[in-house]
This record gives sequence, C-alpha cells and structure tokens, in this order.
Amino acid sequence: MLWVLCPFIAGFVIMLLPRSDRLLAVVAGLVSVGFGAQALRMRSPLIVQLLDSAGVTLQIDTLGGYFILTNAVVTLAVLFYCWQSDRTSFFYAQLLMLHGSLNAAFICTDFMSLYVSLEVTGIASFLLIAYPRSDRAIWVGLRYLLISNIAMLFYLIGTILVYQTHQSFQFAGLVDSPPEALALIFLGLLAKGGIFVSGLWLPLTHSESETPVSAMLSGAVVKASVLPLMRCGLIQDDIGMIVGLFGVGTALLGVTCAVFEKDTKRMLAFHTISQLGFVLAAPAVGGFYALSHGLVKSSLFLSAGTLPSRSFKELKQTPINFSLWLILAIASLSIAGFPGLIGFGAKVWTVKHLLPWQTWMMNIAAVGTAISFAKFLFLPRGPWQPLKPSFLAAQLLLLGGLVAGNGFYLKAYTLENLGKALITIAIGWLIYLGIIQRVTVKLPRAAEQFEHLIGAMSLMLVLLFWMALA
Amino acid sequence: MMKIIAMDVMSTGVIAYYVLVAARNGLFTPIVGSAESGSYADPVPQAVILTAIVIGFSIQALMLVGVMKLARENPLLDSREIEISNTPS
Repeated sequence: MLWVLCPFIAGFVIMLLPRSDRLLAVVAGLVSVGFGAQALRMRSPLIVQLLDSAGVTLQIDTLGGYFILTNAVVTLAVLFYCWQSDRTSFFYAQLLMLHGSLNAAFICTDFMSLYVSLEVTGIASFLLIAYPRSDRAIWVGLRYLLISNIAMLFYLIGTILVYQTHQSFQFAGLVDSPPEALALIFLGLLAKGGIFVSGLWLPLTHSESETPVSAMLSGAVVKASVLPLMRCGLIQDDIGMIVGLFGVGTALLGVTCAVFEKDTKRMLAFHTISQLGFVLAAPAVGGFYALSHGLVKSSLFLSAGTLPSRSFKELKQTPINFSLWLILAIASLSIAGFPGLIGFGAKVWTVKHLLPWQTWMMNIAAVGTAISFAKFLFLPRGPWQPLKPSFLAAQLLLLGGLVAGNGFYLKAYTLENLGKALITIAIGWLIYLGIIQRVTVKLPRAAEQFEHLIGAMSLMLVLLFWMALA
Repeated sequence: MMKIIAMDVMSTGVIAYYVLVAARNGLFTPIVGSAESGSYADPVPQAVILTAIVIGFSIQALMLVGVMKLARENPLLDSREIEISNTPS
C-alpha cells in the first residue's frame, strides 16, 4: 500500500529539501508506472481493507490500472517538459500532491474516500492553475474551484442519502437508493469531470492555464471522476444506460464545438470533452481508451504550447518547424484512429463493446475527430530545426507510449477494421478540405459564463432526476 | 465575493443535513461508559462530515486569498466585471 503514499511523502520531502525537487518527483512517478503496470497484469482484483468493518476498502484492478498508468506517464512527461524551466519546488510539490490524490481516486471503492480525493485534486489543480499569479490565472482558478466545490456539495448530499439507505458508503449501495441520491451523485461527478453541458467550464480552464498544467489537467485530472462513473455504470444495467447516454451526448457535443473552433488550445479542450464521451460510452473497456487519450492529449497540449501562435488562421500563414509538425502529426493520427498507433486499437475495442444504437452516433463522432485533427495535419511545414531537449524527452516518452500501447490489443488488426479506420479518416479529411476549411462559424460562448454554468448545473440536476426515475 | 459567502452557506446546509441524519435515531453521544444506555446518535456521518468541514474551510481560505489578490485591480469585486476583463474574446 506504500505506493499510494509515495507521491505524498515525496511531495512533503520536496518542501523540506527544495534542491532535489525534480529528482524526487521523477522517482515518485516511476513508482506509479511500476505499480500501474503490475495492476494491469493482475487476473483478479486485489482488495485491501483498512481497519475493520467500518474502515475504508481499496480495490486495485485492471480498469484502475490503465488510469494509474496514464496518470504516471503524463506526470513524468510534464516533469520532463518542466525540467529546464525555472519553476520553484512549490510547483513540483503540488504536481506530486495532484498525482497522489489522483491515484487515490482511482483505487477507492466508496463515495466518502472518493469525495476526499476529488477535493484534494481540486485544491492542487487550483494551486497549479494559479501558479503564474496573474489576475487572469487567479480568476480562472477561482472559477474552477467554485464550480467544482459546488458540484461536490451536491455530491455530498447524494452520499448521505446512500448511507441512509444502506448504512455504508460503498459504490454498490447506489442500486436500491432513492433516485435523488443517484441524480445528486451523478451531477457532482459529471460537473467535476467536465461531461456534457455541465462540463462547459472545461474549455476556458484548460486553454487559459499554462502549457504543462493544461496537459496534466486534460490528460489525467478529468479522468478522476470519470472512473467512478464507469464503476457505477458497471454495477447495474439501468445505471449503465444513463452513463452510456451521457457518453454519446458528450462525444457529439464536444466534437461539434471542436470542429468549429479556431483556437488550438480551445480546440484541444473541446476535444477532451468529446473523448471523455468515448470513454464513458463503453464503461467495461473504457480504461484502454482513457490511456490512449491521456497520452495523446498531453502530447498535443505540450506541442500546442510550443507553436508560435494559438490561432489556426495565423498558423496557416507561417510554416512551422518540421520536427514539431511530425510530432503533432503522429499524435493527431493516433487520436483519429490511424492503424499502427494506440488510438486505432482503442477505437476498435470501444466500438466492439458499444450497443447498436450507440455505434452509428459514435461513428459520426469519430469522423468529427478526424475533421478537427486535420487542422493540425494540414499546417504548412517549414525546414527542420532542432527542438529543446526537455520538450523532446517528454514527447519521446508519450509517443513511445503510443506505439508500445498497440501491444495491449493486437487482435484489432483485421482487414475489416483497417478499412473502416482508413475510410473514417478519409471522409474526415475530405470534409475538412472541402467544407470546414472555408467556412467560419463562430459558436456563441454565452454558456461558458460563470452564472450560466451554475444555472446549467441545476438544470442538469432536474434532467438527471427524471432519468433516474424513468 | 458574495458568491464565496453563498457557497459557504450551502456547505453549512450540507453539514447540518449530515448532523440531522446522524441524529435520526437518538441524541445521546455514543461514548463507551457506565452511563445508562439510550438511543444513540449514529457516529459515522458525524465523523465523515468532519473531513468535509475541514476541506470546505481550507477551500474557503484559499479562495479568499485569491480574492484579496484580485481586489487590487478590481476594488469593487464585481464578478461580472472581473469575468469580462479576464475572458479572451
């Protein structure tokens, strides 16, 4: 059990020994990689009971293993990226706190421990977002903290309702609990995880934070509340139905916004929303998809931070460094599901586990993904120039993961799947070159205002309540 | 600023609800001893809400520090104005 504590211990030691901050952080990250890999090889879940019957139960299984591995690799990549920067040890300590609390969220099995770890992730992310201490960073961080805290208050009310029915906080207690308990808990998790309409706080937060922080937020932090949703969805078919519906809705909403977005980082953030939909649509196998998305998205965010401009319009005027383009191209091809990279296996595996009514909607979302990432692929290329070694190390780790991740699911390589993936990508590129590139549609951003976000949360609560009753 | 206070009121409500649920079956403090037995309050919700109180309190403190920083540029602390000036178009 010591490995869960490892990042926290390392974080505290960093505050005492600020000189060795990066080294300690890398050690803690490597421990998590080792543990995540071990969890993936386990046949039956390992259940640890702390204290006696009223104590806390932890469960380590392969589903959680994928998430732990994602978290560890993304943290390591972010560390490598920051290696040459002049960030203080406070930054690294907070990064480790965030990493540790995410790991804790991935293994807990009851609502109360989940609440504690989600709140710790919220606080640590706020500190990371507000690290530059500019007015804008503080406002974005405050907005994030207020929204996530209000969501967690709803969640707490739901939790006590579950306790009242079952005298326990276990996830399994959701089954016979009153519908309002389900609605309140799901609202908390959906809003915190950035899913569907209640997740519209996410684009601004992820695009306005610093490059390494947005990579961390998008690659790992949003997954903290997605995994509990998946676990709840696996308990019972009725709950799984609600989770699946939200998965499809989120995938379509996110991809529609991403296709029309003109700003690189905002496009990536909207795309995170849509990918969370893919993860949720098939809860049983979502872990693999989460791994592929975490690697790709952090790689893309790190690259987008190195691009000379954030606007696609300006990027089209100036040729970019060829080596940077190559990295962007590999990551974009992976997320669009190009064979040979992890995204292909993940898409095939997810689609195989979808219900029939979900499949065609998800295919539309996959075409949308190809369209939105064609924006990166068709950028003008310039001559080859060397990149910063820290940036290169982070990208090599992430892209290496993309290729190595193929090994998890080699059975995907059949002629039918290959053909389908290539056709999807081809349709996406054709639509991009033919239509999207020429039109300029500016989607309204009213729904992203702070007060509207809170309002949307209460509307979602009503919707969830009726879904739970039905 | 008003929003932070409002959030605090909300969290007080949640805490009160936990205490209420705990006291459904009785009001006696559950302590082992020789005193006469009665209907005891459930200790578990009280114990867990203690964590939530501490977390809520620390988030409150963090937010107020952030607001203090923002107050230098925006002395009125009108959240709508702050939002407009800090949102990219």
